[in-house]
Amino acid sequence: MAKIIFYGGKGGVGKTTCSTSNSINYAEKGLKTLLVSTDPAHSISDVLGMDIGRSIVRIRENLDGLEIDPEYEAELYIEKIRANMKTILSNVIVEEINSQLDAAMVSPGTHESALFDKISDIIIDKYDDYDIIIFDTAPTGHTLRILTLPDLLEGWMGSLAKKRKSIVNMNKMVTRKYDEKDPVLEILERRQKRFGEIKKIFNNTNNVRIRFVLNAEKLPIEETKKALKMLKQFDIPVDTLVINRIMPDDIGAEFWEKKRKQEQEYLKEIEMEFQGKEFIKIPLLDSDMNKSTVDMLSKYFGE
Amino acid sequence: MSRLKKFITDFGLFFKGATDFKGRAYEMLESETKTEMDNFILICFADQLGMPLPISYYTLELLPYLVDEIEDWDKRMGKRKSVWEERWSNYDLDP
Repeated sequence: MAKIIFYGGKGGVGKTTCSTSNSINYAEKGLKTLLVSTDPAHSISDVLGMDIGRSIVRIRENLDGLEIDPEYEAELYIEKIRANMKTILSNVIVEEINSQLDAAMVSPGTHESALFDKISDIIIDKYDDYDIIIFDTAPTGHTLRILTLPDLLEGWMGSLAKKRKSIVNMNKMVTRKYDEKDPVLEILERRQKRFGEIKKIFNNTNNVRIRFVLNAEKLPIEETKKALKMLKQFDIPVDTLVINRIMPDDIGAEFWEKKRKQEQEYLKEIEMEFQGKEFIKIPLLDSDMNKSTVDMLSKYFGE
Repeated sequence: MSRLKKFITDFGLFFKGATDFKGRAYEMLESETKTEMDNFILICFADQLGMPLPISYYTLELLPYLVDEIEDWDKRMGKRKSVWEERWSNYDLDP
């Protein structure tokens, strides 16, 4: 059985709801399950109506959960570098590097890297603690990115380590200090090994499953098509699609009346919660999105 | 046969190195090491110079250990006048 399951799909199709229900199902079967949200807009907490934070908490018997906070993870990492730095460097230099580290906190790639680092940590360190790890990812492109990163990063670390090794060897001849260890090389090799481990786990298709969630509507279908095509290019198989929000067979007036009542209540909540805002109200249509519906809806944006 | 040939070549090279009183071999090795170090620094922190680097987050933790090398790199880059001159001055081109 697959140990790691990724839930992907277009925004708003119900990835979080499906991945959460799926993990509850596994937990009830007696499998130790970990549910991890990697979507920056976390909503497992909202779905379950309980606080799930950036470290692992117990949701119910056999089920633990976690919402990764990339900013917090990046801060931890950088704080660790700062602490480490103070033990080996003089104060003047520490100041200089500090400003570089501050800049790194807000640079564009930091969040993704911090997120991926945490995912790797969970997969490697928690692999034996759980029977199943379920990832609720952010909309489509994100899932693919996570799956292809280990290969890319291992390559980079490998060539950096190789280069560093040759420098260390040359430098030994220059300085004639032959038994000195190079901390840089050690770090690079450790990173390379870690990315390699993740790559090995991901490459074994028995370990990893990807499930796409979609609705029986035009836009999610189109996006799922594109995603499956892309995943195929990377030889990542997808064997299960979850089709969410299918209308029940015995649908009748009662069903819609109930839906409407609920909606009225939420409308009231919106008006209360966002008092003083201007509202543009657009009705539900009986046909799916296409060119003519967009034209038709344009009149609602009149003023 | 080829092993014997290799031995003779290596034997020759040994004496060439051992009798290199002008210290050119050492100098060359030293400058080559520095060039390689500079290249390494460049690859690790290329994003600081505006080149996108997918691993810039992971090279951050190398910073504390590379402080001296970065300082040397900075000095060498500042002193640089001609890349060609730097390159060829390593080699004894006089006939």
